[in-house]
Amino acid sequence: MCKALKAMIIAALLSALFMISAGAEEVTDINSLINETEAFNNQSVTVEGEAIGEVLERGEYAWVNISDGTNAIGVWMKAEDAESIGCFGDYKHIGDTIRITGVFSNNCTEHGGDVDIHCASMSIVKTGYSVKNTVSQTKTVYAAALLCLACAMALIYFRSVKKRKDSSNN
Amino acid sequence: MVIPLVTSLAMSEWNPALDFVISISVSTLVGCFLMTVGRKTRRGEVQVDWKYGYIIAALSWIMLMFLCSIPYLLSGHTGSLLDGCFDVMSGFTTTGLVLTQDLDHISTGLNMWRHMLTFVGGQGMVVLALSFLGKHIGGAYKMYCGEGKDVKLLPNVKNTAQSIWKISMIYLLVGTLALWICGMSIGLSPLPAFFHGLFMFESAWSTGGFAPNTQNIMYYHSFSFEIITIILFVLGSLNFGLHYAIWQGKKKEMVKNIEVQSFFITSFLISAFAVLKLSQTGVYTNAVSSFRRVVYNVLSAHTTTGFGNVYARQFANEWGDFGILLMVIAMLIGGSACSTAGGFKGLRVGIVFKGIVADIKKILSPERNIRVEKYHHIKDYVLDDPTVKASALIIVCYMVLFAITTLLGTFYGYPLADSAFEAASVSGNVGLSIGVTAASMPAVLKIQYILAMYLGRLEFISVFALFGFVIGGVKKLCVKH
Repeated sequence: MCKALKAMIIAALLSALFMISAGAEEVTDINSLINETEAFNNQSVTVEGEAIGEVLERGEYAWVNISDGTNAIGVWMKAEDAESIGCFGDYKHIGDTIRITGVFSNNCTEHGGDVDIHCASMSIVKTGYSVKNTVSQTKTVYAAALLCLACAMALIYFRSVKKRKDSSNN
Repeated sequence: MVIPLVTSLAMSEWNPALDFVISISVSTLVGCFLMTVGRKTRRGEVQVDWKYGYIIAALSWIMLMFLCSIPYLLSGHTGSLLDGCFDVMSGFTTTGLVLTQDLDHISTGLNMWRHMLTFVGGQGMVVLALSFLGKHIGGAYKMYCGEGKDVKLLPNVKNTAQSIWKISMIYLLVGTLALWICGMSIGLSPLPAFFHGLFMFESAWSTGGFAPNTQNIMYYHSFSFEIITIILFVLGSLNFGLHYAIWQGKKKEMVKNIEVQSFFITSFLISAFAVLKLSQTGVYTNAVSSFRRVVYNVLSAHTTTGFGNVYARQFANEWGDFGILLMVIAMLIGGSACSTAGGFKGLRVGIVFKGIVADIKKILSPERNIRVEKYHHIKDYVLDDPTVKASALIIVCYMVLFAITTLLGTFYGYPLADSAFEAASVSGNVGLSIGVTAASMPAVLKIQYILAMYLGRLEFISVFALFGFVIGGVKKLCVKH
């Protein structure tokens, strides 16, 4: 009897766990949104991607462009939300990965027909960081050797041209 | 390559700086070798025939394609040499299609390089060389014509080349300043705003279509930014001769010129039909979105710029066959002759159209009447049969190229509309994509697209001369052995 009760409690707990995971917002990749704009139009969607470039502030609101590797899209959010993003992706940085839930538009009337997401909630999933671009030693050696060779060749060429000019003038 | 090198050093981007040092060194070595081989021609001791002028122009583009792809390859952002060559040819020919991966994380130095390629390509590499090289270059005018430019602004070809650069540099200052200020007003910080302004100017003026970010012009979410780029790319698509004439005070040229008339008629008609169709189907229902998403893209296609403010797949999924066909027509017609634009050019469309009208009039009028038709392009010209024939011939060449490229796309399984859109984009040196161009596409298709961009930009004759020369050489070898 006790065993059966234990099993029932475990089963109930497990099913509750499954219910929680089913309730979590499903992340849609940006390319799917772009490929099926009509299906997702005016729907609430959740996307996750790296904040790229920089914040484009427009008064109380701001544009943040995010890229998830499949494509990139503009997210229209409150300026204070945008300010919480600490790092944006560029050559020297990997930007914060942010999760956005908001309404997707394939022809946003507020923004001149833009394909965008109006953010309802935002969270930072992973903080960005600076990329260490270490200089390769082999590349440095090759660069130095080729530069010396090129300088020498150019010098020889221009000297021979000058010599020929001088001799023809005389 | 010195400018991107300096940019990399200034931005403390050491790896890209090394990439440019290597590229400069290799280019210098190749340059020294070629100057030694061609020293007699350089000194004007050897007469350069027309065919050699064309061949030199065609070969220099191929040579430069390989040399200029070195920084791409070393950056690690291209999958292969072929992808690097594709992007360089796309830049040189002011097409703007991209195979470079992860654009949002590339260095400022490489971005400078990409946009400089498209800016220099717009004016023409031979034009650049003629502007800055020594006083006398054998066969200079023939090489200049071989690059698809035939307008002589001034009697001397070197002065003409320098004038083209002067016009471009003045616009560079004004355009970059306008975009820089606009960039700061839409939220960019001053330094990035400057680079974005410079890059977008170079791309717009040369009707290139490259942008520093994946989203292209959509990155900015700004109507004002779009308006400035429209002005710049329309100006860029106009004939250098027209710019020069207006600078000389001939303002009426803007109204009388056959190319301007042709451009405004075709762009108005295509825009009107596209807006009508897309509002009927409910895709863009208000005036602002119709202008920003439809007229902008039509003008971008017609001027062969390739800035896109809708996603590639939106053309396929939302614009429908009619919209795609309109875009194909706009891309194939292109901008003006002797401008930075591609396509078969408004001048030729105007001449052929006038030629057809003249023929109809001739049939309808009494046989004893002799009619002399004229067209105005900087000055008045008599519309004779050889002129109409020459224009029609180039248009036929473009159509054949377009058909072959479309056919190859369908061979690899792409839908007809997608293949035709992309084929028109590469043949007309536009750069808008419907989603076919990707790093994963077949290598043969990449090569065909490179060839189409190259043929379209040099307007066939130079490349045909090169093919003929190579085939002739091979035949001679076969006869010998």
